[in-house]
Amino acid sequence: MSAPGRRPIWFLMILGLCLLALPAACTREDDSLARVERRGRLLVGLDPTFPPFENADHGELEGIDVDLARALAAKLGVEAEFVYYGYDGLYDALLTEQVDVLISALVIDPARTRDFAYSEPYFNAGQFLVIRAADRPVVTGMADLSGRKAAVELGSEGHLQALAWQKKVTDLEIATLPTADDAMWLVRQEEVDAALADHTSARLYRRQFPDLALAAEPVTVEPYALVTRVRDRNLMKALGDALARMQEDGQLQELLSRWLDS
Amino acid sequence: MRGMPALIRFARNRWPSLVRIASFVLLLLFIQPAPILVTLGPPRTVETTLPVLGVHTRLADEVEEWKIKKTLEMVREMGAASIVEFFPWAYYHAADGGFAWGHPDLVVNHAHNQGLRIIARLGFTPDWARPPDSPLNYLDASGYDDFAAYAAAFAGRYRGKVEAIIVWNEPNLSFEWGYRPATAADYVDLLRETYTAVKAVNPDIRILGGALAPTLEPAGSPWGLNDLVYLDEMYRAGAADWMDGLAVHTYGFKFPPEMEPAPDLLNFRRVELLREVMVAHGDAESPIYITEMGWNDHPRWTRAVRPGQRIQYTLDALHHVEDHLPYVEVAAIWMFRTPAPTRSYMDYFSLVTPEFIPRPIYGEIQQMARPGNGP
Repeated sequence: MSAPGRRPIWFLMILGLCLLALPAACTREDDSLARVERRGRLLVGLDPTFPPFENADHGELEGIDVDLARALAAKLGVEAEFVYYGYDGLYDALLTEQVDVLISALVIDPARTRDFAYSEPYFNAGQFLVIRAADRPVVTGMADLSGRKAAVELGSEGHLQALAWQKKVTDLEIATLPTADDAMWLVRQEEVDAALADHTSARLYRRQFPDLALAAEPVTVEPYALVTRVRDRNLMKALGDALARMQEDGQLQELLSRWLDS
Repeated sequence: MRGMPALIRFARNRWPSLVRIASFVLLLLFIQPAPILVTLGPPRTVETTLPVLGVHTRLADEVEEWKIKKTLEMVREMGAASIVEFFPWAYYHAADGGFAWGHPDLVVNHAHNQGLRIIARLGFTPDWARPPDSPLNYLDASGYDDFAAYAAAFAGRYRGKVEAIIVWNEPNLSFEWGYRPATAADYVDLLRETYTAVKAVNPDIRILGGALAPTLEPAGSPWGLNDLVYLDEMYRAGAADWMDGLAVHTYGFKFPPEMEPAPDLLNFRRVELLREVMVAHGDAESPIYITEMGWNDHPRWTRAVRPGQRIQYTLDALHHVEDHLPYVEVAAIWMFRTPAPTRSYMDYFSLVTPEFIPRPIYGEIQQMARPGNGP
């Protein structure tokens, strides 16, 4: 028989536990993954005007994000269905539940994480140094450009970075050109030691000229990631796990290389 | 001793410890960084060979005073003689009629001290002046007198410092009225009430109407109305009596600045077509203030150009204004800097990053406006 004086304490403890459990009980069940599985289709929002990530100019949708979405959907046991939006309408489309996920070369935006969840990055679209392949051992990053000459597209992010590095290393000379391709051409001509270009442009240019290489260290990081609604935790976990498997088994690198290197 | 309160007894016994704790707290107070002291500094003047050059700053949401000052210093150092800045009504005017002038004081006083001409854009409706759950831009006729009161208080407070007030923003777009159906005549009603109230307290300040969005939307569109048509309708509703000049937004989009204007085309020289509407209505004496202009170099935005084109087009447009548009008082580039990245195409309109790193276009404009000071 318990002492009568202890009863209120037990009562308060149980009441406290109930109150603690209340928010969890009130939380809406996350059926995001089950919904996709029931439907048999993963609704993917994208802006099909950004080759080589997504492009529908020739009637057929194609690109890195398209292949990535299909591969991820297959790992979830469903098919990918693509819905087109303008670049500025992508997040609104996701927020209003018109699609399940955005896979559209979107950079992780910390300011949006109240409403949206981002996966691990699948591509760094930041700036890279393009150098002659023979220089790869000696030029690994911007710090190695002391006393050298770099070419950039006038007014570009690469130009901005070069100007910033000019204050950190000694005797960095900058040549400005109308396009990033012009800047990289000067590397081949041995008129400059390196060019700064975004990762995609650099890889696509290098595809034509294997005597060029990318320096080991990225100059900037612009991480592309998958985006879901923040409350769709189960779907994001499934997509994130699938993406991690693709990274581990080399499927992601092979996919990127198919579009950017070969 | 037995009757002594316990607290005093405790203090007597432990006073060395208490002294040590108090010393530690004092030490903590001294080692924490002092707040940044920001002063106006000596009054400055703008040195420029391009006095028409202005820039639209984005200081309404800039919290820290040193960043406000730094922004305006960089504007002056670039060679811009004027700023256009937004002073949101909803931020500063309370339901009881009181005003919170702290932040606008910082912006106006620092800008004035840097020798900059100030053109103030007023807009955004406080929740007390619009129906519940309506958008921030919503304004109907019942709120016009409240807006006019805010504009008049603003004009009175900044007499001699603010040169002009822009009444509302892009009124030819439904969005800018909170999607309330509003005609050009409605806008002229707002213009009249504001003009009357402001001139009563500060006859010297200029009232600018318009700031129309460049658009080709036809009559009946739920989104807006063609700016040339809208301006014509404004004049037919009597706008000429209630404004001292026209504010103009003119963007180049993908076209070079020298491209001929046409009614069915949105390009930089659309400002000349707006001017033709003014002249047709006998308002040739009123000046034009270009309060937004520019090009964008976002890699994905469909209306963007390459970064090098953006620089060249901007410089050429400023030359065009100087050489061919004598009626333009100010040509303000949209925009100088945002307090934080927007991570959208808007970032690619800016001249300076949120971290105050000048983009190459800043240096090129500086070289044009202050030869010998650029890159």
